[in-house]
Amino acid sequence: MGHSMTVAENLFESLRLELRRGSLTLAVLAQLRQEHYGYTLRKDLAERGLEIDESTLYPLLRRLETQGLLVSQWREEDKRNKRFYRLSPEGEQILIRLLDEWQAINASINRIFEQPQS
Amino acid sequence: MELLDRYLQAVRKYLPTRRQDDIIAELRANMESQIEDRESELGRPLTRGEMEDLLRKMGSPVIVASRYQPQQYLIGPSLFPLYLYVLRLVVLWTLIIYSIVIAVVLPFASPDHSDIAASLLRTPGVLINVAAWVTLVFVAFEFFAARYPGKCPPLTCLADNWNPSSLPPLEKADVTGRKPRSFTQAVAEVVVGFLMMAWLLLIPGHPFLLMGPGVVVLRVAPYQLAPVWWTFYWWIVGLNVLQLAWKTIDLARGQWQQPAPIRQIIFKAVGVIPIALLLSVRDHIYVVLKNPSADQLRYGHNLDVINNSIHLGFSVICAIVVVQLAWEIGQIVWNAYRLREAAK
Repeated sequence: MGHSMTVAENLFESLRLELRRGSLTLAVLAQLRQEHYGYTLRKDLAERGLEIDESTLYPLLRRLETQGLLVSQWREEDKRNKRFYRLSPEGEQILIRLLDEWQAINASINRIFEQPQS
Repeated sequence: MELLDRYLQAVRKYLPTRRQDDIIAELRANMESQIEDRESELGRPLTRGEMEDLLRKMGSPVIVASRYQPQQYLIGPSLFPLYLYVLRLVVLWTLIIYSIVIAVVLPFASPDHSDIAASLLRTPGVLINVAAWVTLVFVAFEFFAARYPGKCPPLTCLADNWNPSSLPPLEKADVTGRKPRSFTQAVAEVVVGFLMMAWLLLIPGHPFLLMGPGVVVLRVAPYQLAPVWWTFYWWIVGLNVLQLAWKTIDLARGQWQQPAPIRQIIFKAVGVIPIALLLSVRDHIYVVLKNPSADQLRYGHNLDVINNSIHLGFSVICAIVVVQLAWEIGQIVWNAYRLREAAK
């Protein structure tokens, strides 16, 4: 029993991570409609119910910037140099399309759950 | 902050060289903000234990740094199926060719067969070596494709550009209930057959292809092959040509699915002929001295041992082939009987 619980937990964890992976990118892009630096972005996402590890978030920001979806600049704030990110124009376009896709998937899943079970 | 500095120093070592300073500066700014916030909540500086917990939660320096790498895998999911296919093919053929080299080189190089065991033990090493090279080639493809996406030809185009109309016909179930021969298998057999034919035809001019480094031994050794090997060689070439032609015609006519057990039996039976020819050689002379007058006294005994060993080896091979042939004929007869009984 103990072993099968661990296997089930591991399987759930693996599937949960897969489910979260795409959603995190959408959440990060959405939150970056306003300018943030890494730590405040993480805090704001956590306040809205989306916990994300620093070691996942910070490289993700770099990757999205490399892909042209974000722009960044170094600026001094509170006597410390910080790298601020915000959406690029291309990022805004992609965000709108991803949001539409997300809502379509959400609606489909809701319809699947609402249908009567035969 | 000494612990933070040590942590960032450790992360830096594994970061891509060009972006180390930039990434570390950003990480430092974020982590210092986090520490400040935490210290404001607590109203005091963090203890060493709390600092260690914070860094532990951040993750191991190696893992954190690896997430900044552009490529997260050696061979990506799009290339992996092709890599696996090529790897299997190459390893299989290396095993076959290496086995042939061992079987042919060693009786000449070491009459007392002392090197056979050593060569057999070297087999895993050879296969691992070959697999490593294939893997390296595909890793290189993945590396350049990730860094220069527009410039590398997409190897996955083999999977992307395909035509449903060119799919092979439906596979018929084998009457004996065995899994039908797949199109891939039929194509692979023809391709490999041609490669084998090319290799066979190149051997007389390039004995290295058969014997590998052992050809050097053969050149300096006082022995040479007897003429009977030419007869054997041309029989082997002829049989391979016939078999290859038949397989190619089957493939071209779309008849590669149809099992041909009778034909396979015939080929196997005809294949016994060259072995029988070798066994019938007078006095079992397979290897002769290059200079009999000078070397007979010194190498005559070794020569007898070599010739007897070859004769014994081929006797065993002949026995195995005959037993296999008898078994397969028996299977065909049995299956035919079963089908007849089932039809009643």
